[in-house]
This record gives sequence, C-alpha cells and structure tokens, in this order.
Amino acid sequence: MIRLALASLMNRKATAWLTIIAIAVSTLLLLGVERVRVQTQENFANTISGTDLIVGPRTGSTQLLLSSVFHIGAMTNAISWDSYEYLQRLPGIAWHIPLALGDSYAGYPVVATTPAYFTHFRYANQQPLQLTHGAWFDEQDHIGAVVGAEVAQRMQLKVGELLTISHGAGGISFSDHDAHAFVIRGILAATATPTDQAIYIPLAGLGLVHGEYTASEHAEDDHAHHHEPPVYSLSAVLIGLTNKPLALRLQRQINNYTGEPLTAIMPGLALTELWRTLNLFEKALFAVSILVVATGLLGMLTSLLASLRERRREMAVLRAIGAGPLTIFGLLVSEAVILASVGVGLGIGLLFFILHFGSTFLLEHTGMLLRATALTSSELTLAVAIVIAAISLSLIPAWRAYRNALADGLTIRL
Amino acid sequence: MSQSTCVELNQLEFQWPGASFPLLHIPHLQIQQGERVLLRGASGSGKSTLLSLIAGVHQARPNQVHVLGHDLAQLSQRQRDRLRANEIGYIFQQFNLLPYLSAVENVVLAARFAPARVARLKGEAGSYHELAEHLLTQLGLAEQDSKRPAHQLSVGQQQRVAAARALFGRPALIIADEPTSALDIDHRDNFIEVLFNACEVHHTTLLFVTHDGSLAHHFQRAIELNEINQAAGGR
Repeated sequence: MIRLALASLMNRKATAWLTIIAIAVSTLLLLGVERVRVQTQENFANTISGTDLIVGPRTGSTQLLLSSVFHIGAMTNAISWDSYEYLQRLPGIAWHIPLALGDSYAGYPVVATTPAYFTHFRYANQQPLQLTHGAWFDEQDHIGAVVGAEVAQRMQLKVGELLTISHGAGGISFSDHDAHAFVIRGILAATATPTDQAIYIPLAGLGLVHGEYTASEHAEDDHAHHHEPPVYSLSAVLIGLTNKPLALRLQRQINNYTGEPLTAIMPGLALTELWRTLNLFEKALFAVSILVVATGLLGMLTSLLASLRERRREMAVLRAIGAGPLTIFGLLVSEAVILASVGVGLGIGLLFFILHFGSTFLLEHTGMLLRATALTSSELTLAVAIVIAAISLSLIPAWRAYRNALADGLTIRL
Repeated sequence: MSQSTCVELNQLEFQWPGASFPLLHIPHLQIQQGERVLLRGASGSGKSTLLSLIAGVHQARPNQVHVLGHDLAQLSQRQRDRLRANEIGYIFQQFNLLPYLSAVENVVLAARFAPARVARLKGEAGSYHELAEHLLTQLGLAEQDSKRPAHQLSVGQQQRVAAARALFGRPALIIADEPTSALDIDHRDNFIEVLFNACEVHHTTLLFVTHDGSLAHHFQRAIELNEINQAAGGR
C-alpha cells in the first residue's frame, strides 16, 4: 500500500513537494526554537561558573545579577572601597574580583576590574577566559584594555589601537572621556557569554578617567598618600570561596553588614530565578512555532482533500480490482504518513545543516551558541508528535474517501 | 442452481435510498459459465446499477443475486470485495488505468487484492511481470509500450491494458461496461475480437454491456435490459 501511495504521490509531485517543504520548514522552526530555548538556557547558566557569591549594593537579586554578569542596567548605588576591604577580610575567601560599571564604548559595556578577573573568572564548565590576540593587562598597566570577541569583530578592533570610552551606557554620549584613551592589549576568544560584548579596563584606569585617582601624582609626588585607600567605588564584587558550603553563611553575614547596606547573591540560584521570569517569552515563541506547524499540516490537509476530487477515477479503479473501502482509507493515511515523515525528516536534515554550517556565523553575529548535537528526547517527541498530528488530520480526507468509495462504487463520477 | 451457472438473478428488485419507485425489477436472469452475453440498454436504464450489484459494490436483498454460487447478500462487504478481486475482471468505458503506473504494473495490480488470482498464477511459468507482458502481447500491445506509463498510451492501447488486467489470473467473469464506446469502429471490432479470443482460451464468462445494438451480431446471446426489467422506474 505504501508503494501505491508513493506512486500516487509521485504522480502529484508538485503538490507533494510543496506540502513536504511546508512541513519541513515548520519542523525546522519548531525544533529550531526548541533547540534555541534549551541551549540558550544552557548558555545562560554558562555565563558564570565557579563564582560563589556576587556582592553589590543593596538591590534586588535580579538587578545585581543583570548588572554584574550581563552588564545590563545601571546601578544607582555603589559599594565603597571600605566595604570591599571588609569583604576581602572575610574568612574562607579564595579570590575576589572588583567590578566597576557604568561606562561604555559604542554601546558596549566597559567593565573596570583587576587582572584577577582574567585569572579567576570562569564560565561554562569552569572554563577560563582565553585570548586570541595580544595579552592581558597587568597590575601596573593603567591604560590597557581587553576586548570581547564580538566587540572586536563588530567594531573591527585590533591590538594596539586606541579606544575612547564614554560615560554612561548609551551608544552616544555627550561626555566622551577623550583625554584618556585606552590601548587595546588583547582580544578575547568567543565564549557565547556576555563577556563577548564587553570591554575590560583596569580599575585604576577608570579612576584616571573619572579623576578619582591620578597615578602620577600619587606615585611620584606624595608618599604620604600611598597607604590611603583609593577612592573609586565599585558596582559589584565577585567572590570565590575556599569552601563552597560556606556561601550560605557568608551571604547572611554580608547581608547583615552594618557599615553599608549590601546584597550578596548566589549566582546559580539567581540565574534560575531570572530564567523563570523569561519563561513567558519562551512560551510565546514556542506557541508561535506550534502555530506554524499547524499551518504546515493544514496545508497538507488541504492538498489531500483537494486531490480527492481529481482522484475519483483512481479510487474507482482500485475498487474495481477489489480494494475495499478500508484500503482506500489506508491509502490516504499512508500518503499523509509519507508526506509528514519525509517533511519532518527533511526539516531535521535542514536543522542539522544549518547548525553544522551556520553555528560559527550565528555565534559571531548573534552571540547564540548552538551546537549540532544529536536530537534530544524532547526534540524527538516533537518530531513524532508532528507525524502523529499529520496522521490524525489525514483521517478527515481518508474518511471522505472511504465514504466516496462506498457511495460511488464503480461508477466514475466527474 | 447448477455448477456451471456464473450469474443468476432471482426476483431482483433494487431501489436507491430516497427514490420513490424501484429502478430494477428483474424476475429472472441466468448466465452460464463460458457464455458471452451482450446486455443492451439505453443510458440511465439501470445498467451500471445492475453491474455494481453483480460486482458486489452495492448490496441486493438475500437470494436475489448469486455469483458463482455465492448469494452476495450473505457475504460481508469485505467478502464481496474479495470475491470481486478474485473472480471478476472489470473494464470501464475509459480511464481504466492508474496513470502513474506502467502498463505492466497496471496489469499486475489485479493480483494485488486477489489471493485466488495469485494462486492460479503460481501454476504458470514466469514471474508476474513476464506473465503480464505475455498477456499484453496476446492482446496486441507492442512490447515497448508495456513499459510506458499508462497515461502515455492511446485510448485503444489503454483499453487493451484494461482487458489484460481484467483477465490477469483468470477470473471467472469479465464485466465490461461500455468498453468500446471511446474507440472508433476499427479499434472497436478489433478490441472485441481480441477480448473474445482471450475469453475463449480460458473459458471465461463475459458480460458485455453497451447502449450500441450494432454489436449484437458478435455475441451468442444478446439481452435487452428493457425486456427483462419490469420496474416502472427503469427509464
């Protein structure tokens, strides 16, 4: 029966292919959206790893996470240097990275930090940052900058070039810090995290820009000032602990710090919380792709129903050689199975083709990291669900053909 | 009812659902095995309905239609479909073939739903395709034409393929519903001759239905539907 259905479909090649392509494209979209959803969630969770606590001024955990990890949104408050020193003295601290945000370059966030960032920051599965060109800036370097992969690619930045940062996060700022240009020392490898979109400069360099700290004056002229704490304020501090379970206790302790209102969050938990708030968007995307699949399948239904009229002769011939109405019924269901399976197969093929050949392009241009890994069980379930939906829909034309077969008998009505 | 009876009608009455009077009322008709019968009737006289009753597509009441000893009313839909597949070769006026299959494949299709035809073919030498090609050659289709898709064949060639399909696997009865009305006179006579010869060889019963009385001289027996049908509704 499958062979007969195939032969019959081949006879209607044009419509059959169009139907298959419609199903393939909708499958591609549904599975693509599913893959983007799952892998984005993974990437999302990959943005930071190994950091046990993020400390910032008193604010909501999502806001602190967004500003410290994703460099989104401006913090109105800051942490004082005193508090930073207090944090360093806490027991069980393995490392600490100070972050000062608020400046930008061509709309990309500028993160002022210390070389500790490059030594201790980890993403994905404890992966350290790596450079494709140049080198890190060191403690003595006050005008060096390290540029994220995407910024470098988009803005065509090269090692050794000069960079002028602007105050504020906007793309165009009225207060460019023209007087203090930074020199690009290194360019980071792509990570599929917000790191790709950031520019890293030394904390002391930011101090220079903002006039909070002037290296030459302090270092050369006035030795009395040498032991005084610098005055720049921080947006957040990333902390690694020697003993992970300590995090909860330290979090409480920091939240109760009396010197200044502080917030400490555990990045894993905060990420999960944030992802949950993005759930709605994700669901909407999924709903849209389901609708596209429905459109594809309705296209198949239309073409099958339309074909019934022109195929009455075919059905009468089949009836004449002894095919029962059930065979006619089965024939139409088989056709739907063929159309849907080939369509879904083609869609999966297309998906992998795109993932295989387009993932580098996607990563460089959108920062989305999608891998051509094998179909997950949920993706497989979706694919099977499309075929099952196609079979269910084909019951309508199959039933009509069945009724026609009984009523028309051997007379060919045109 | 004798062993050699192929089709027997007894007090057949048939009325379409919703019709106000019966279309067919045939007190008696018997066709022996091996007989070649012409059934003549004007269009709309109930010919096609009678044929679909004999072919078991539509159902008559018990004891009214016997085909090869089976009371069709006693058989289920599936059994009637099976009986038709096995023992009845049906030839339409035209468009007999699945256009997307080759001539040979169309012929072989006859065995698709017919285990009895398959069993009879097993007794012969050669594969189904060889047997089908042989049959097509017998019916006068050139060898190179038997591989071509059906839609590329002329109407005359298509009717030969249809006849070959009806005859494939030696069913007991061939029902031909106006098989020559799409053919010109030369092709018509030639087709009838070829069909007769093939039926002769296998002792196949032929029920040939037409509106064209001029064909009657070819047949041993000619029946006027109007004469045997006493229904008022038979127009």
